[in-house]
Amino acid sequence: MRIGLVASLAWQDYRNDAWLSACSVLALVAVIAPLLVLFGLKFGLVSSLTERLETDPATREIIPLGGGRFNAAFIEQLAQRGDVAFAVPRTRQIAATAQVGTLTLEMLPTAAGDPLLVGLPMPRGLDQIVLSHTAAEKLAARPGDWLETSFARQVAGRVEAQRTRLQVLAVLPLEAFARDGVFADLRLLEAAEDYRDGRAVPALSWDGDAVGATEQRVYPAFRLYARHLADVERLRVFFAGQNLLVSTQANAIAQVQSLSRNLSIVFWIIAGLALAGAFAAILAGVLAAVARKRRELSVLRLLGFSTAGLLLFVVVQALYSAGFAAVLSAGLYGLAEAGLNKLFVQVPGEYASHLLAPHYGLALAAVLGVSAVAAACGGWRVARIQASEGIRDV
Amino acid sequence: MLNLSAVHKSRGVGSQRYSLVIPALALRAGEQLAIVGPSGCGKSTLLDLLALVLAPDQVGRFEFDQVDVGALWRADQQSTLAALRSTHLGYVLQTGGLLGFLDVRSNIALSRQLLGLKDDGSVARLAEQLEISDQLGKKPTALSVGQRQRVSCARALAHAPQLVLADEPTASLDPLNAERVMQALLAQAREHRAACVIATHDEPLARASGLQVRRISCRRDTDGGVTATLGEAC
Repeated sequence: MRIGLVASLAWQDYRNDAWLSACSVLALVAVIAPLLVLFGLKFGLVSSLTERLETDPATREIIPLGGGRFNAAFIEQLAQRGDVAFAVPRTRQIAATAQVGTLTLEMLPTAAGDPLLVGLPMPRGLDQIVLSHTAAEKLAARPGDWLETSFARQVAGRVEAQRTRLQVLAVLPLEAFARDGVFADLRLLEAAEDYRDGRAVPALSWDGDAVGATEQRVYPAFRLYARHLADVERLRVFFAGQNLLVSTQANAIAQVQSLSRNLSIVFWIIAGLALAGAFAAILAGVLAAVARKRRELSVLRLLGFSTAGLLLFVVVQALYSAGFAAVLSAGLYGLAEAGLNKLFVQVPGEYASHLLAPHYGLALAAVLGVSAVAAACGGWRVARIQASEGIRDV
Repeated sequence: MLNLSAVHKSRGVGSQRYSLVIPALALRAGEQLAIVGPSGCGKSTLLDLLALVLAPDQVGRFEFDQVDVGALWRADQQSTLAALRSTHLGYVLQTGGLLGFLDVRSNIALSRQLLGLKDDGSVARLAEQLEISDQLGKKPTALSVGQRQRVSCARALAHAPQLVLADEPTASLDPLNAERVMQALLAQAREHRAACVIATHDEPLARASGLQVRRISCRRDTDGGVTATLGEAC
C-alpha cells in the first residue's frame, strides 16, 4: 500500500471534515497547552534557582574548618580532581593581611581559573593585585593605580614593618566578594607570612631569618570550589572521609534539588493523568470516526485497500490532529510564557516559565506517539470492516 | 478468464437459511452478462462472490485470471485477494459508492493511483465519453444520481480491469437515465474488452442492451430454508 497515497487521501478526508478535525485538535490542545505551561513553570523556576546558585561561585565554595596541615602536593591533587574547579593553598589568616593607609585588607591567594576572577586579569608576581569592590571604594582606587602597602610584624616585642608598591589590575564586582580584600599571587601571601614569621623575603629585600632549604611549607587551609553544584555534596563526603570538617552550601543546593524533584513528581503525575485522558479521548474519537466513516472505509477496502492501509489511514489522521495540536499548543504556551515572565520576573536573565527546544521536540514526539498508539488501538475496528459493506447503500 | 463450478454460499440456519448455488459460470474477456431475478434472490451475494469480498462455503472450481480463488480464501490470503480486486476488478455500486471527500476527478483516478499508474489521459477521456467532463472538479454531493453513476462507471473502468461488476447500476434512475447509463457502461466495457456482470431487476433493459441474461431462481426446501440457483442463459 502506497503510504503517500494513503496520507494524501487521509488529508483530503481530514480537510473535508474540517469542523470535526478542528474539534479533535482543540481537544488535544486543551491537554497539551496546560501541560506545557506547567512544565514551563517547573523548568523555569527550578532552572532560575539553579542558575542563581550556579552563577554564584560562593555556592560551590568548600571551606575547611579549623586548622589543618596541608602540603602543596595534596592541594595540587585536589585541584586535579574532576569534581574540583579550582583549588589553591591559603596561608595563615592572621598573617594574610595588608595595610593600605588606615585600611586593613584581607589577602586571598588566587591563580588561573579562580571562579571569583572570571573575566578579570590575573595578578602575577609580587606587585599585582585585584582589589575588592568595597576596598576600592574606600581607597578610591582604580585599575592601574599603585597602592603603597605595608606589612607589619612584632619581633621581640618590637614592631617592624616593610612596604611595597602593589598595582591594582582590576576591581572585583561587589557580588563576587563583599569584604575589604585583595587577591594576589600565592607568593605574595607566602612572602607576608614569612615576613611575619620573622623570616627574610629575599625577593622583596625584606630582612629576617634565613629560610631553610629543605623546609617544606605547610598550609593551614585552601580555597576550593566544586566544578558543579552536584559535586559539592560529593566533595563534602570525600572530606568527611578524610576526617576533615568543611563548610559547604550543600543544604541550600539540596533544597533546590528537592524542590526540583518534588515539582517533577507533581508534574509527571499531572502529565500522566492528562496523557491518559488524551489517550482515552483520541481512542474514543477514532472509534467514533471509524463508525462514522464505515462506508467510506469499506469502499476503500473494496477498491483494494488492505487492513494495514485502512489502519494507516486512521492513524495518519490522528497524527495530523496531533501535529496541529502540538503547534497550536506551542503558540499558546509562547504567549503564556511571555505573560508569566513579564508578570513575575524581576531579574534579567531569569525565568518564571521557560522551555528549551528539546522540550518542544519531546512534547511533539510524546503527542505524536500517544496519538499514534491511541489511534492504532481505536483503529483495530477497521479490520472488521468488510468490503461488502461498501457495496450497498453508499 | 472467470471460471466457476459448484460454488456454494449459505447464510443463516433452519428456516432462516439462504443458500446460493452456482452450478457453473464461465466468462471470457469482453463477454457481458446480466444476472436477473427478484429482490432477495441472491444477485448481490453472487456479485460479492465474484468481487472476491465474500468467501464461498464450498468450491468445486473458482478460477479468476488463472488464479485459484478458492485456495486463496481457504488460506485466508486477504492481501492477495485485495491485490486481485484492485488490479483486475472494477465495481459500479448501486448509488455510486463515491468517496465524498474527493472530487470527481480524484474519485475516477483513485483506482489507477492504487495501482501506482500515472494518469495517461484516461480519466479525462472516460469523463468525456461518459459526458461528465464538466463535473470533474465537483464533489459527488453536487452531482445528480445519474451523474454519480457515470462517475462510478468511470472509476470502475479507469484502471482497465478485466472484469467489471455492477450492482443494480440503474435502480435509482429514471428510465431515460437508466438506459443512458447502461449504454455508457457497456460501451466503455466493450471498448476496454472488459468482461461485464450486471446484477439488475430490469430484465427488459438488460435484454434491450444486448446482454446475455441468466436468471437466479429460488426454491423453498423441506427445512424451510431457501436455495437460490444460478440458471443457464435464457
